[in-house]
Amino acid sequence: MAEEESQSEEFEQIDFLRDRHVRFFQRTLQVLPERYASLETTRLTIIFFALSGLDVLDALDVVDRNVMIEWIYSLQVLPTEEQSNLSRCGFRGSSHIGIPYSTKGPGVLHPYDSGHVAMTYTGLCSLLILGDDLSRVNKQACLAGLRALQLEDGSFYAVPEGSENDIRFIYCAASICYMLDDWSGMDIQKAIEYIRGSLSYDSGFGQGAGRESHGGWTYCAIASLCLMGRLEEALSRQELDRIRRWCIMRQQTGFHGRPNKPVDTCYSFWVGATLELLDVFQYTNFDKNRSFILSTQDRLVGGFSKWPDSHPDPLHAYLGLCGLSLIGEPSLRKVHAALNITQRAFQHLQQLQQTWRDSTVSCSRQH
Amino acid sequence: QHGRVKIKSTAQQEEEKRKEREKKLKVYVAARDACFSKRKEGIMDDEALQLTQQLLSSNPDFATLWNYRREILMHMETVKDEDQVQKIYETELSFLESCLKVNPKSYGSWHQRGWVSARLPRPDWARELSLCDRCLSLDDRNFHCWDYRRMVVKMSGVPVDQELGFTDRLIGSNFSNYSSWHYRSTLLPLLHPESPEPPSPSREPPRSSPPPSPPTQSHRVCEEQLLKEYELVQNAFFTDPNDQSAWFYYRWLLGRAEREEMISCVYVSREVERVAVACSRPVNAQSVGLLLVLDGQPQRVEWRSVHPQLKHSPVWICDLPPGTISDVVNEHNLTVHWTEKHTHRDCALYTGRSESWCRDSATDQELFRSELSVEKTSVLQSELQSCNQLQELEPLNKWCLLTIILLMRALDPLGYEKETLAHFRTLKEVDSMRSAYYSDLCSRFMIENTILKMEYAEVRVFSISDKNLTTLCHLDQLLLVTHINVSCNQLQQLPPHFAMLQCLEVLEADNNSIEDLEGLHHLPKLEEVLLKNNKISTLADLQPLASCPKLKRLDLRGNPVAGTANLEVELAQLLPSVMHLLL
Repeated sequence: MAEEESQSEEFEQIDFLRDRHVRFFQRTLQVLPERYASLETTRLTIIFFALSGLDVLDALDVVDRNVMIEWIYSLQVLPTEEQSNLSRCGFRGSSHIGIPYSTKGPGVLHPYDSGHVAMTYTGLCSLLILGDDLSRVNKQACLAGLRALQLEDGSFYAVPEGSENDIRFIYCAASICYMLDDWSGMDIQKAIEYIRGSLSYDSGFGQGAGRESHGGWTYCAIASLCLMGRLEEALSRQELDRIRRWCIMRQQTGFHGRPNKPVDTCYSFWVGATLELLDVFQYTNFDKNRSFILSTQDRLVGGFSKWPDSHPDPLHAYLGLCGLSLIGEPSLRKVHAALNITQRAFQHLQQLQQTWRDSTVSCSRQH
Repeated sequence: QHGRVKIKSTAQQEEEKRKEREKKLKVYVAARDACFSKRKEGIMDDEALQLTQQLLSSNPDFATLWNYRREILMHMETVKDEDQVQKIYETELSFLESCLKVNPKSYGSWHQRGWVSARLPRPDWARELSLCDRCLSLDDRNFHCWDYRRMVVKMSGVPVDQELGFTDRLIGSNFSNYSSWHYRSTLLPLLHPESPEPPSPSREPPRSSPPPSPPTQSHRVCEEQLLKEYELVQNAFFTDPNDQSAWFYYRWLLGRAEREEMISCVYVSREVERVAVACSRPVNAQSVGLLLVLDGQPQRVEWRSVHPQLKHSPVWICDLPPGTISDVVNEHNLTVHWTEKHTHRDCALYTGRSESWCRDSATDQELFRSELSVEKTSVLQSELQSCNQLQELEPLNKWCLLTIILLMRALDPLGYEKETLAHFRTLKEVDSMRSAYYSDLCSRFMIENTILKMEYAEVRVFSISDKNLTTLCHLDQLLLVTHINVSCNQLQQLPPHFAMLQCLEVLEADNNSIEDLEGLHHLPKLEEVLLKNNKISTLADLQPLASCPKLKRLDLRGNPVAGTANLEVELAQLLPSVMHLLL
């Protein structure tokens, strides 16, 4: 108990500049600097960081929800009249391919237009955060698009034309199935095999078999298993204990992603959330974690950067906030550790899923 | 989004930059549009390659363009001869090298290089390995490069011992090379695999059924090679004891393959006509095929978890039809099958006995030694000696302390108890950031030692008071316990897992901070509950006790709830079996 009191005294000393962060995300939603051009194809993920960041800050009132929702729906790759492109459905990252703007179907066939698994994931999250009821999401098309991305070894491509395949996209797939409340989008057993195969000799997870352990991939592994409800089935108690130990050792002040690497703000979430899902986050040092995250706070433009004295960016700004939320920063909303949206957005999802289930029941009663 | 350091610039510099950016943007948009219109018309020529090249130089993560480029290259394979194709791909490799110089961490560029290397008519693997060497010399932690190197090695058939030699050189020049140690961990078991262990008696021959969860890094290393590796690793951590690379590798070397799964205990009670089963890991009884056979007859029983909140649990119980085993004159033979793992356990219920059990104790299973290898004791002793030597030189080194604790628990958990506690105290000072974690670990070890002592004494009494415990664990090992004393600790709850104590008769939990009694759920033999000086605050908190039919004595003195008006009357209604109540 005494420890908590002295911690809250120190909390006062480093101030958290809420309003700057709100303005940082507002600017992110309006215009991005030129150096972000290379991220054009993944613009929806940046929008997600800004929206979810504003949600964590309880500042979504600065967003024009309807405009945002329409824009996100314009990124949905919908089935054509003949349903010839179901395996390519999902959400795109942005309009960079040049498909004409439209928020309704039928879809237009273009040889290079397809969903991207991380865009479908962040697209659905963003809609939920904005309070949308997902009624315009073509769920069956999204799930068909998802099934087309899974390989024999259980991992996923990002796009149906092919790309690298690894554990990151398993996480995206699991989140999509979880949100749509429909696991027909993936072969869970194969995915679990791939995840288990990625467990390294030091009990961290790599991107795939034989690859080096990393805080980000460890999050993808554990969060996926939690979303699937298979954590204790897939991993033994000894394995879970060793994973906890590898993760706890990532704290230096803040957290790093791999041994002998510098600490980086985003790992306060990737590793912090993993520890939370494994029930041992309470054993980390909150004070040092908070001090580090706030040392990367940009006092002028807002946001957080990966290291002190670097430029802030939306990813680190968002994950820095999530890292602070995990340790209970007073002005921030709580974050759902596995799904990486606020508990508030998560509750909205739960209510939606209840109405979907209720309407299936009443439908079947009528027949 | 990689870290970029802030640099100040003048207004003029800003304006120049702005003009350049506008120019770049115009060029980009024109090139993109030209690209897509070509693609639309199905044109796959050199100009198309040029256009995609321009765009990819500035944006190597435009996946769609790489795909288009691959289409063009594949088309060229069909219309040009082998020499031309070789030349085209070599040009591609040069282009990729320039991309990688700009961004050595681009998924798109590395993926493309891998794709090209696989298709090149006459690949130059030496060149690829040399590229990797150069890249790693700039950043030895670039996992894209390491992954690519692994692919090259695989495709070109570089022998494993050559790669092992490569890691020797890297580690030799710099012990602090985590990626090299990692790579070594994947190579070693390939070169020196452990011979498989002989099967155990309780395991049935496997039938053709779905395989159990696939192993992870269970590729073990043969003993001769292990000893050499110990030497290598010791050199590393004696040279730089603060570098964690060698310690994690050492931990892995000392580590053990997973224990085989089994039913660790079957308990049967005539009185309650109930069977309780403890498995070696949490399961869902329905999905793993738990089957009860009584006197040769399979029984139709419903397995239930000890608590509704526990869908996954190591302990499962079922009730037998009334009269099946209640007659004390009859002997019965039970077998419980864990069909998914092809294992079973028998239990004989003898004439005149009201209960029976069959178990492999924690001691038998070496449960609490499972961290470390089945290596000969002499090997572990000599490793402990080395670590102790280092500890004298580096008394504040946390890795050393942790490893010593580990080795001690592998050799003799009870014998080294005092030293282990002393080392934990030092560890909490030396690595104070993680002191809460070490406290939890220490509590866990103390609980384990108490279990071992209890088994050694062959009693069913578990006593662990005044040990600063904040949580309880290994409750599945306490299935047979009749008396438990956890008084004078810092427990806040008796969680659902506590219901695994199916034989419990007496609970002493005075002087804790308990608010929550969820775990006292349908405990059939529980008679006495002592909860003096805890934090039970409402009548509702006492609700779970109503499910324990034999409860006779209850001590609630020093709890906020004791001040509730009319409490005695309420409790008389809620808990009619209680004869002795202390408020």
